[in-house]
Amino acid sequence: MLQPKLKSKVRCTDRDIGEVTKVILDPLSHEISHLVVSMNGSGERQVLMTHVQEVMDDLVALRVPSSDIVALPPFKRDDYVTTHEVEISHLEDNLDVVPGEILVPFPDLEKDVKRRTFFMNFTHVIAFLIGLPIAYPILRFLMKPMYAPFDNDWIAVGNVSKIKHDDVGTQFQYNKKVKEAYMPESEVEKSVWILKASPEVLEKFYEDKDQDFRDASGRLIWTNKKEFPYIAFSGKCPHLGCAFKWRQHKTLGQVFLCPCHLSIYDATGKILDGPAPRALDALPIRVSASGEVEIIDMEFKAGVKNQVRII
Amino acid sequence: MQQPTISNEPSTAIEKIVAFLDARVGLKEIQAKMLNEPIPGGSRWAYVFGSILLFIFGMQALTGILLMFYYVPTADHAYASTQYIIHDVDYGWFLLGYHFWGSSAMVVCVIAHMSQVFLWGAYKPPRELLWLVGLALFGIVIGFGFTGYLLPWDQRAYWATTVGVEMVDKVPLLGDFLARFLKGGPTPGQMTLSRFFVIHVMILPAALMALAGLHLFLFRVAAPAGPFQGTSEEIKAKTDYFFPRQIWKDMVGMAAVFVTICGLAFWEPVVLLEEATPDPGEYHPEPEWYFLFYFQLLRLKVFAGEFGQFMGAVALPVLFMVLLVALPFFDKDPERNIFKRPVALISWIFIMAIIAIFTVSSVINREFLD
Repeated sequence: MLQPKLKSKVRCTDRDIGEVTKVILDPLSHEISHLVVSMNGSGERQVLMTHVQEVMDDLVALRVPSSDIVALPPFKRDDYVTTHEVEISHLEDNLDVVPGEILVPFPDLEKDVKRRTFFMNFTHVIAFLIGLPIAYPILRFLMKPMYAPFDNDWIAVGNVSKIKHDDVGTQFQYNKKVKEAYMPESEVEKSVWILKASPEVLEKFYEDKDQDFRDASGRLIWTNKKEFPYIAFSGKCPHLGCAFKWRQHKTLGQVFLCPCHLSIYDATGKILDGPAPRALDALPIRVSASGEVEIIDMEFKAGVKNQVRII
Repeated sequence: MQQPTISNEPSTAIEKIVAFLDARVGLKEIQAKMLNEPIPGGSRWAYVFGSILLFIFGMQALTGILLMFYYVPTADHAYASTQYIIHDVDYGWFLLGYHFWGSSAMVVCVIAHMSQVFLWGAYKPPRELLWLVGLALFGIVIGFGFTGYLLPWDQRAYWATTVGVEMVDKVPLLGDFLARFLKGGPTPGQMTLSRFFVIHVMILPAALMALAGLHLFLFRVAAPAGPFQGTSEEIKAKTDYFFPRQIWKDMVGMAAVFVTICGLAFWEPVVLLEEATPDPGEYHPEPEWYFLFYFQLLRLKVFAGEFGQFMGAVALPVLFMVLLVALPFFDKDPERNIFKRPVALISWIFIMAIIAIFTVSSVINREFLD
C-alpha cells in the first residue's frame, strides 16, 4: 500500500503543483483512497490514489499532467469528518501517515528499573496471597446452612377414618414446624398420601419383606411391618420433586399421577408410565388405637434410582 | 454534511455548560465517536435487537430498584410484601407487571438477537469473542429469569425453583453440592430466598453490566458485520452512520417493546397464587411460558430413568451451549449468506420448530390434567 506523507511535495508529469495536506480513507477497506493536494494558495484538490505513480520519501509523483489536477473541482471539506469524530476500529493498524513518530520522554526514575517482569509477577503473587486466605472462609461462609441433621420425630397427620375405600390414595395434609437459622419458628403445609391396602396390594408392595428405615449411621429407626395395612407415601414425586395426585386415568384406572412431567404410579407406588426413575417413597407409619396416623417426615432426592434421604 | 464540532462561540447557558464540559472531557468527540459509526450496507430493522435489549435492561433495573422499596426478601414477608405492592402501593401493580413482562420481553429479544447474529453469520471470525460474551449474557438473562421467579414466594415460584434446583442436582459428582449450595439447605426455604435475592439484585446485574460493556466494546473493535450478500461497492454505496437512521429504527423498536410491555402489564396483570408451601394443593406446577417447551421435553420417555434424566436435565442443555460456544471455531467457512449455508438454516428452523411444537403440546396437555 502506498503511504504518502503529509507535507510531501506533489509532482505532476510536467511540474510541481503543491503539497499533501490531507489523506482520505475508505472506512470499510481502511485503504487511502484520495490525497488532498494544496496548490500553493490556489485551493485544494482531491486526487485519486490511482493517479499516484510513485511515493518517495518527501515526494509524491503523479502520472497525470498538472492541467488534469487543476481541472478537478475544489475539495469540499464539509463532506468529511476527521478520524477523531468517527468510530473506525483498527484504523491505525495499516496506516502510517503521521510525519514521524510522536514521542514522550521516559521518566528518569524508570530508566534504571531493570526487573520489570519480576515486579509484574510479584504483584500477581501478592494478589494471589491476598486471595488465598479469604477463599476458604468465603466458601465456608456460604456453605453454613447446606447440611442439616435429619429429624426423626413422629408427626400426627390425621385420623384413618378419613380413608373411605381400600387401595385408594388419600391425601393427608399436615403442618410441619420448621426453625430455619435465625428465623422465627414457622409452619409449612405438607402432605402425605396414605393407602389402606387390601391383602393383595399389601403383598405386592412388601413382596413378603418388612421395610426397615435406618438413619445415616445405620441404626434402625423404624420397621413397617408387612402385615400392617396402612402405607404412607411421601408427597414428593421421585422424578423431579413436584407433588403427585390420585387420579382416574383413561386406560390405567386409578393411579398416582404427577401433573408436572406425567409420571404415573400404581397404588403400590410402582411406576406404570412416565419418566420417573424409581417407585414412590414409602414413609414410616404408625396408627394409634384411636386411629390417629403418625408418620416420620422424610424426603428423598428426586431423579435417582436409589433412595437418598435429604430431610 | 453537518460538522459535529461547532466552532461558534457559545451563547446560551446550555451551550456554555456543554462548552465547559467539552473543554475538559472532550464531550463532543465522545459523542461524535458514539454516533458516527459506519454501518456497512446501511441501517436495518434486523439490527435493532441489541439496542432494545439494553433498553429493556435499563427498564428492568429501574422497575427492579423501585420494587425493592417495598419488597422484603424473607420467607415470612416476601409474599405479603409482594401482595402489598400489587394491591396497595400506587401503581405497584403496574411496576411489578412491567418488571414481570419485561423479563419475558428480554428472553424474546435475546432469542431474536441471537437468531439474527446466527442467520447473518455474524459470529464468524473475527467476531468469535463477541459471540462468546453474547452467550454468557444469554446465560445471565436465563439466570435472572430463574432467580427472579422465586422472589414473590407464591406456589408458582416455589415449585419452579424446586424443580429447577432438582435439575441442577442431576449434574454428575457436583450436583448434590451445587443444589444444596443454591438452596442453602436440603429444601427451599429462607436461605434459598436470600441467595436468589442476592444473585438476582446484586451478582447478576453487576455481571450483566460488565459483560454488556465488554460486548459493546468488542462490537466496536470488530465493527459491524454488515449484510451477508452484495459486492463491496454495493455495500459501500449503502453505508451510513449509526446516527440517525439506525438509531431511529432502534428507537421505534424500543417504543414498540415499551408499549407491548405496558399493554401486557395492564391487560395481563400479575396475580399471585397461594403463598409458597411444600403442599401445592390443586396447583399444577408449570414453569414460565418460555420454558414450557423444555418442561414438555422432559416428559418424553427418552428422558426417563436416572440416566434419561441426566440426559434431559444436564447433558442436553450443556451440549447445546457447548455447540453454540464451539460454533465460530468449527464453522470457519467465510460464507455468511444464510441461503448458502443449508446446515445452519435447517438447524435453526429445526430448533425453532422444536420450541414451537413442544410449547404448543405442553399447552394442549394442560386440559388433560384437570
